[in-house]
Amino acid sequence: MLTLSNVEVKYAGVILVLRGVSLQVPEGKIVSLLGSNGAGKTTTLKAISGLLRTELGEVTAGAIEYQGRRIDRLDPEKVAKMGIIQVMEGRKVLRHLTVEENLRLGGYIRPNGSVRRDLGMVYDYFPKLRGRRDSVSGYLSGGEQQMMLIGRAMMARPRLMLLDEPSMGLAPLVVKEIYEIVQRLASEEKTTILLVEQNAKAALGISQFAYVLENGRVVLDGPAGTLAENEDIREFYLGLGKLGEKKSYRAVKTYKRRKRWL
Amino acid sequence: MLVISGVMNGAIYGLVALGFVLIYKASAVLNFAQGYMLLLGAYLFWFFRATLGLPLAVALLLAMAAGFLVGMLIERLTLRPLIGQPLISMITVTIFLSLVLEGLVSMIWGTYPLQHVTVFHDRSIRMGGMVLTTQSLIACGLALGVAGALIAFFRFTRIGLAMRGVAEGHQIVQSMGISVRRILNISWGLAGIAATIGGILLGGTLGFQLALSQIGLLAIPAAFIGGLESPEGAVLGGLLVGLSESIVSGYVGNAAGVPAAFVILIATMLFRPYGFFGLERIERV
Repeated sequence: MLTLSNVEVKYAGVILVLRGVSLQVPEGKIVSLLGSNGAGKTTTLKAISGLLRTELGEVTAGAIEYQGRRIDRLDPEKVAKMGIIQVMEGRKVLRHLTVEENLRLGGYIRPNGSVRRDLGMVYDYFPKLRGRRDSVSGYLSGGEQQMMLIGRAMMARPRLMLLDEPSMGLAPLVVKEIYEIVQRLASEEKTTILLVEQNAKAALGISQFAYVLENGRVVLDGPAGTLAENEDIREFYLGLGKLGEKKSYRAVKTYKRRKRWL
Repeated sequence: MLVISGVMNGAIYGLVALGFVLIYKASAVLNFAQGYMLLLGAYLFWFFRATLGLPLAVALLLAMAAGFLVGMLIERLTLRPLIGQPLISMITVTIFLSLVLEGLVSMIWGTYPLQHVTVFHDRSIRMGGMVLTTQSLIACGLALGVAGALIAFFRFTRIGLAMRGVAEGHQIVQSMGISVRRILNISWGLAGIAATIGGILLGGTLGFQLALSQIGLLAIPAAFIGGLESPEGAVLGGLLVGLSESIVSGYVGNAAGVPAAFVILIATMLFRPYGFFGLERIERV
């Protein structure tokens, strides 16, 4: 459904952030994009959704294809109308507007009559929001805001949803709840999801396929289960050491150890 | 008596202030050219009515359409190229745009006051010991009516909601498929209409002259007093400014009217920095 081929992204013409990223998101699947800070994960999502251009960013090489059409030079509004909706990182709610107003704006591109039905769908997935529908969104808790943002994206009935770090700053139980809903969304609404996460455990738990990004390049990819077993992933992203071994100080000094894939 | 005339003028200030607030809400630009858009709109109406001799309703509608166009053109030609540049550049552009507009108006119509045109029938009504003109009453009613319509538009329609969304963050609403450019364009157009109607109403009572722009500038403190993000606040701020101008002019002297508005502005800023109805910053603690 979505294919990135050797995508290179520069900011302000000089800051090279993505150095040839290639990945594929098949229809109906959940794909994760993992990596530590500064790897280029958010930039990848913004390149897809077109929001890059609002930050002096540019796709300088390579191609992004969505259902056979090239989308790397399109305005973000056009990309959204094609069915790709991004939930940005940082919980960017429309602060002074109420929850319901936020959701209504999420459905802006949908035909006029469908708003009520779409709102009903979102409130069914997120019952907590129904109780808070007239609250000013800036005062909601982090978890509620994140739910509202995902709901706001769903209002546009996207074919492909780009989720950027939904678990950031949330309590583990809330993360679990949100991830369960995301999984339901994928299976029931048939939404394809490209998920960017620092929380590798949660992400790998619901994805079928995953890519690991480092310094602007894909360094590892594979089915989520395989990646979860991978030794380097376990050590650097999941924080697990080898089972049953006595931990020596040398093993702890990860800065001295090189990742096997480099 | 002073109170009544102050309120009537205040309604007009409120309308123009509303236009100012619309632009600020959507784009965070302080449109210092608002008073001059008022001037241009008023003169265009005079052109339709006095020069072309069109019937009143037609001239009004044409002037409103022209006002909308003027607003949109200003946004398109002078401010859109500056999107992404620091805000101060855009604000500076509006300041110098004022001079350009004033020059344009003087070039076309000269610097002397234009032949007086009554906008509405000039009749007097006696009400409880006070004498009012139908002119002022209709002007006040029209100003409040249009202001109310704009506020309702902002609050209850889809596009109004989109405008409020744009005010919250351009990038955020772009990710939802809303064309920020189009919304900004429409905001400026609406502000143009508000300025034009205000100019026509003021011109009807005070005469079509270059000084209209100075009076139009009073809308800016009105907007600040009411709270820059609040359309309702703009109208109330306008009423307050109108009232104070009228009362101070009456008791202290004519020249003190305009400064009085600014004194109130300073006082408001000291106690309510966001204006009476401004949106306070929502910080998460």
